[in-house]
Amino acid sequence: MGIKIDGLLCTGCMACELACGYHRDDAFALLSSCIVPYRGREKKNYLGVILKEEDSLVAARPEGLEVNKIGEEQDPDKEADASAKPMLLRESCDLCEDMDEGPLCIKFCPVNAISMA
Amino acid sequence: MEYLSSDKIAIVDLATGDITEEELDEDLVLEKLGGAGITTSLYHRFEGEDPIVLGTGVLTGSLIPGAALSIMTAKSPLTGKLSHVPIVLAAGIEFKYSGFDYMVIKGASDKPVYLWIHDGIVDINDAADVWGKDVWAATDTIREFMGDDLIQVLGIGKAGEDQSPLATVCVNYWQGGDRLGFGTLFGKKNLKLIGIRGMGLLEIAEPEEFVEDCIELLSTIKASVGEKKGITQMAAALGAEDIGEWLDPLVHRHMACFNTPNPTNSFVFTDEDPARLEESDVAEPGFLLTDIYPLIVLKRLGLSAKDACTLLKDCAKYGIDAAAVADLSEKNRTTTPDDIRKSFPELKEPAQQPDTGVFSPWAWVGKPDAQSWQRRQAVSYILGIHPLFALTSSDLTEEKLLDMASLGTELELTQETLNEVIADVTGK
Repeated sequence: MGIKIDGLLCTGCMACELACGYHRDDAFALLSSCIVPYRGREKKNYLGVILKEEDSLVAARPEGLEVNKIGEEQDPDKEADASAKPMLLRESCDLCEDMDEGPLCIKFCPVNAISMA
Repeated sequence: MEYLSSDKIAIVDLATGDITEEELDEDLVLEKLGGAGITTSLYHRFEGEDPIVLGTGVLTGSLIPGAALSIMTAKSPLTGKLSHVPIVLAAGIEFKYSGFDYMVIKGASDKPVYLWIHDGIVDINDAADVWGKDVWAATDTIREFMGDDLIQVLGIGKAGEDQSPLATVCVNYWQGGDRLGFGTLFGKKNLKLIGIRGMGLLEIAEPEEFVEDCIELLSTIKASVGEKKGITQMAAALGAEDIGEWLDPLVHRHMACFNTPNPTNSFVFTDEDPARLEESDVAEPGFLLTDIYPLIVLKRLGLSAKDACTLLKDCAKYGIDAAAVADLSEKNRTTTPDDIRKSFPELKEPAQQPDTGVFSPWAWVGKPDAQSWQRRQAVSYILGIHPLFALTSSDLTEEKLLDMASLGTELELTQETLNEVIADVTGK
């Protein structure tokens, strides 16, 4: 069981990112979220969502999912997303296991781009 | 102020280079609530030094649906009135998380400068490397220099540098909500741009209850507002004429401002297949549409959607208010994109705008009732709610917003105070 993301539905509102940050910090903050819309390619409107899981970094791109195993060598020709750089340092998604409401990113996504797999 | 706040006001003197800081006094919040209530108060305090005041609402940057708004307050060179313009997209919340609740920018620098706001610090930097650049190039330069593509930029282009009365403050690469000549004020201050990065943290007085209420409110809004997506559906929802058939073939995706359930912006591809999903190989394939009004006028002028959107991109690069350009082009019967583009430097007279009181006409769409529109704008600008979204979401009642603000701050913020602050801000 895990989180499923439709990168094409995402509107880049960052509600998932703030909800996750709240889960981590019991306050409103964005720096510790394990789910973030990547919005560093603004002029091209190329937008999706990155999720850090225990052993992988999931990039939900508009054209489909890309799962990169953490620790494995990445394609050196591929440009990294600015938003993805700090993701490896963050805690992995725990599906908000201590919260009655369940994964908060799902609760707060206004366009239902995030769901349980 | 302890909760939903960075507890800090910066006072930046561009004339001397001095920067001072003050705490955000809870008594001021109890009296003026926040947003336009407090920026108005700060403006009057520094009135002799022609300030621009940046401010956040109590709820800005929270999980309340639509909590995207920060504002700028200054005397509009177009109307002569103390006025407020919205800061949306992600710039409003980046300011909230930058370590400041409010910032007074007073005086004028004797050379071009830019402000860099981050981590509770504000720097005044030499703008020699960006002065003379268009809005897009200046944004690129600052982001590359700082090594961070997520920096939000409130900036001016050539129009602002030349102190054109139609200069506007853009957000990153796009038109912002400034339709009141604040870009001219930036130019007069020799202030090229404000770069903002927000990586702070806001404590909540009653976090669990606050977040549960946010979930419930979002659920209600999703059920009642439905899926209004993008600029054409937002225009229709607000009673404007239908531009969907004209524009929608160019739409690539709809984009939301921070935590705003219904995306009010649409990205169009003018130089790329709008259906393309993979990252474009074209460096600048299109433009993010954030302002409904100029689209309506340019359509009426007979421009194709592609020509209109390309023209709007050029307006943003030049840093000129696209709504005023559209209005004056219609008035002057300038109807070809090239002629309109060539007219930018000559456009000096203010366009005829609806009387929207102290608020930017940016959210004036269709034919709203003026009194209820101004009340709704006032609530949005005081508490930090997206001004367009607020107009379409009746579930965000004043009572609910005040309850949430009180819950999040542990302060008793009442309807009576809100009424007083609205009267103070609007002068009515």
